[in-house]
Amino acid sequence: MAFSNESSRWLHFVEALYTIALCASFWLLLLSRTGEAQTVWQVLHPAFLPTLFVATFLLFISLFGSAGTSRKLFFIILYSILIHSFFSIVFPAGDSSGQQMILGRTRRVFDNTILHGLSGWPPRTIQLFLFNVFRGVNLQAGLTTVLARTLSVDVLYVHLFLVPILWGTFVPIGSFLLTREVSGNKTAATLASLLISTLPFSTYFGAISVPNSLGFIFLLYSLYFITKSLSSADSKTYFLILTFSFFSFLAHFLTGIMSLSFLLLALAFKTYKNEKGSLTSKIQVIGSVLVCMGLLPVSFVYMRFFDSTTYGVFTLEKLSELPHEEIVGLFFLGDLIYGFDLKTIFLMIVGPTLAFICMIYLAFKEKGKAKPERHLKILFLFMAYLVVLADYRILKLFMEGLPINSERLWVIRDLIAAPFVGYSIGALVSAIGSLKAASRTAAVSSTNKTFKVSTRGAIGVALFLNLIVAAVLGGWVTFSLTAAYPQVAPLQTTWYELEAARHIEENTDEGYVVIGDLWTIYTGEVVVGINNPNAYYFQENSVLGHDLFANMSRDPSPQWMLSATNLTKTQVAYFIITEPRLGAEEFNNIVTRIQTQPLTLFYTSQNEKLRVYSYRDST
Amino acid sequence: MAVTSPFVFHKIEELIAEDSKHVFTLISYLTIILAYINLNTVHLFLVGLIAFTMYFVTIGTFLGRAFFSEEEAFFRFALGILLSIMLLGLVGWLVMIIYDLETAPFALVLLVTTTVSSVLNRRMRRRNGVFK
Repeated sequence: MAFSNESSRWLHFVEALYTIALCASFWLLLLSRTGEAQTVWQVLHPAFLPTLFVATFLLFISLFGSAGTSRKLFFIILYSILIHSFFSIVFPAGDSSGQQMILGRTRRVFDNTILHGLSGWPPRTIQLFLFNVFRGVNLQAGLTTVLARTLSVDVLYVHLFLVPILWGTFVPIGSFLLTREVSGNKTAATLASLLISTLPFSTYFGAISVPNSLGFIFLLYSLYFITKSLSSADSKTYFLILTFSFFSFLAHFLTGIMSLSFLLLALAFKTYKNEKGSLTSKIQVIGSVLVCMGLLPVSFVYMRFFDSTTYGVFTLEKLSELPHEEIVGLFFLGDLIYGFDLKTIFLMIVGPTLAFICMIYLAFKEKGKAKPERHLKILFLFMAYLVVLADYRILKLFMEGLPINSERLWVIRDLIAAPFVGYSIGALVSAIGSLKAASRTAAVSSTNKTFKVSTRGAIGVALFLNLIVAAVLGGWVTFSLTAAYPQVAPLQTTWYELEAARHIEENTDEGYVVIGDLWTIYTGEVVVGINNPNAYYFQENSVLGHDLFANMSRDPSPQWMLSATNLTKTQVAYFIITEPRLGAEEFNNIVTRIQTQPLTLFYTSQNEKLRVYSYRDST
Repeated sequence: MAVTSPFVFHKIEELIAEDSKHVFTLISYLTIILAYINLNTVHLFLVGLIAFTMYFVTIGTFLGRAFFSEEEAFFRFALGILLSIMLLGLVGWLVMIIYDLETAPFALVLLVTTTVSSVLNRRMRRRNGVFK
């Protein structure tokens, strides 16, 4: 009892230190906030990574202790929110990517600038109408707007932190539940909930607010309840499977189809279980694996039935055109063969490979054991893993014209891999724990002084091993972040671009249109949304918007601005140029050419890196 | 403290889930009024945060108890919050598609979500045989 009190005191001490290190990490991340950078790595405070490593190390130490599961998970959630908030805390408008496009569409709802209700969705065809209504951006826009209104804050803040907080909270919990379901081991489950952070793709998607990220969260829970249903015939579980699968679909097409695949696979496994592994049921399982492998690729082909702009097709072009080495590289590593360094490749594949080996080992080890349901669940997840691996290769090598990047499938692979990474590391921790327990029992029971000293030495070795394991795992998690967050990226939305867009919005009474590059459009999406009739920024893929900017850059005359106002039925046109985007020479050339034109210099940023010219349509 | 905290949490959770005489459903409706007034006139983040927390604790507990009664308190609460966010998203999505999400429809979204959560809580408790 005395020993237990002592270890409990130590545990509280470690937890207190962890809390301090975590708060320091949050603070240092806040200090790293910048208005002009390309990657988070350029601006992170030098003390941040060492502090984060200390926090991770202490977190692992506390996980090896005897605290309750909920307390451990609470600490993991705080940690997880931190490591998924890099973009949202460091950059003023988050990562310049799809998440700003989603914000552009959400802001239209928040600011009530779109046409209201069903009339705002002019359906060319009923299929296109359904396609538009069920797009994940709508679910996210609705949710973000409601949350922002409840909190009474601007939608930007809720949007930026929506996925980091939801992912940081619910992915560790989902990972815990899935691992517990498969292994029945709480230590492995707790480790899995933290070790999912060693999988860089998963960390990246948890850091950007896009509907696909929400879809991955729902998919994880759908997978958990599907796995659970293999051993329970509870109607509540079936209801939850359908609910989470529906939400996976509502959030994103990819996660919806994968949910459906896993559901079909589970049905075959149910038959396999009920028929006690008969030959027919085995054939059915193999058949369903093949069907599930084909479901996603085929659905991409038939997507054109709903949206005529998608054109996913099967092709052998890549196989015939690419060199053999590239095909082999793509087959094993995917896009990682293109310019990624060995360290990044290693960090990307080490977790999934470990999980794959663990799955094969468990599939054989658990066969014929006392708990056949556990074996069934392991086999099910193994097959689901194979489906994802096969789908990735099909999309990568045998298809083109896909509406999404096939690398997104790796997030699903990572979600399935995490429980097995936790299982492997959990086994190692248990082995050290057994050594410690055995040595302690021997030391207490023995009367032999020399034996006592040597067994205490063994306890010391076990404790030392615990520290080493915690340090290695802490290093692994921290180091994985260098692969999760890009090392190379374009200049993110800067403070002066945001200031310019806000200045235009605050100082223009009439409707206006902005001609700018893609980065200007992203900025506009953050401030006023996309296709806002009163503050018009062209869509990211608008050929017209692109041509107007190209023409203005080459020949900055009022005629382009006039045509922009006419096309958008606005009164004022603005032309934005930014020196870091264009390069100093191009920027100065445009400025010189504009001086001969009747355009007004409307705004210049304090650092002279951005200029806004205006032209008013007097007709 | 370490012993009493979960106990206190458990008691509060039980109290909310029991929803005797619909007290907590009514509290949740009052929270909606608070959020609505704050959104239209006060515009204070702190008030919004209080309304937000009260709202989610209440409906999260309703849904957690309804669907995850066999889980530990921590998971019950967390999964309840996840379900309430999903329900809020679903109703928000529907209202947005059908009409828009200005302040009045926004309040309607919260109202529908609360009502559905409360009804589900009562139905599931009755089904689980724990309804008094």
